[in-house]
Amino acid sequence: MAELVATFGVPHAPIFPEQVERGEAQDVVQLYQEVAQHLDAVQPDVLVIFDSDHVNTFFVDNLPIFSVGVGETTAGPNDLTRMPRYEGVPLDPALALHLRDAGIRDGFDLALLQDFEVDHSVLVPLHFMTPRMHIPIVPFYINGLVPPIPAAKRCYALGQSVREAIASWTADMRVAVLASGVFSLDLGSPRSGGPVPDPEWTERVTDHLAQGRVAQLLDEATAERMWQAGNIGGELLNWVAMLGVVGDRRPRFIQARDGDAFGAWRWD
Amino acid sequence: MSTYQVEKLCYRAVHDLPFRDALSGDPDGTLAALPLTDEERDLLRRGEVGRLYEQGAHPYLLSHIASLGLFGVTRDSYRERMRALLE
Repeated sequence: MAELVATFGVPHAPIFPEQVERGEAQDVVQLYQEVAQHLDAVQPDVLVIFDSDHVNTFFVDNLPIFSVGVGETTAGPNDLTRMPRYEGVPLDPALALHLRDAGIRDGFDLALLQDFEVDHSVLVPLHFMTPRMHIPIVPFYINGLVPPIPAAKRCYALGQSVREAIASWTADMRVAVLASGVFSLDLGSPRSGGPVPDPEWTERVTDHLAQGRVAQLLDEATAERMWQAGNIGGELLNWVAMLGVVGDRRPRFIQARDGDAFGAWRWD
Repeated sequence: MSTYQVEKLCYRAVHDLPFRDALSGDPDGTLAALPLTDEERDLLRRGEVGRLYEQGAHPYLLSHIASLGLFGVTRDSYRERMRALLE
């Protein structure tokens, strides 16, 4: 039977790869390395990634709230991110189909995504933590970025459903879950390029996560509050879904910066 | 008022390389052939990203105009035009 071994949360700024190329953002490198150490220690066979597409994999002609990526491989980035191109990134179609099947039975309307590429939000974390792209992934998309966005409680419940689906998966595999995204940032809008809009929200969210204060976080993470933290604030929903997998377990490690955080939860 | 066609242009500029080249090489001709309103064509041609944002076009899609240097918009001029909305 499948076993949940760890969950993680990291940001995915498209500018990180080029900054690091130039010798900058060393704090980011170190934080990704710290999460990667946890990832390496638990030896997962697959990584389920809760992620928000930045209108690259999906367009507004047909926009699901939740969608599960199925196929043998994916590639990318399919956006303008300056980073290496990765081809043949392995997926896990059997697990993806199982998660989708189990989620639909649980009452979650999960769209089916096939024949797709992925953007920086999937590839930047992998670029830093698993550059060999040796761990198959299941991209599990949550629309946190094109309003109206789903409620935090709904995303938490989705995470709980995924937790049960992992437990009911008959393959003997070690499963890890990654939340990709930040808590406070603006992109392309009037506040962009300025200081992080809401470091206080970042600190508050991180503290709730550190203390396992799930109910309080879910109450506070309204669409309005996340929007106030930036038009990227809805990426918190990826962490909320990951939290549904975690429950109120405390992280083994969590470190916040002004607008984002890096964290790891373990079961050993 | 729907900003769908503006957003579609931005999306195609990233994902459809021949379209991107056409927009860069012949903005007037390319815009004329698209199902845009005259006002949208005018705002795009003049790189009025702030106005398009006000009309509801998604900022991630609009930001591609700057990233690709379309319609004479640079990252700096994009930022200026957006910041002007805060005043």
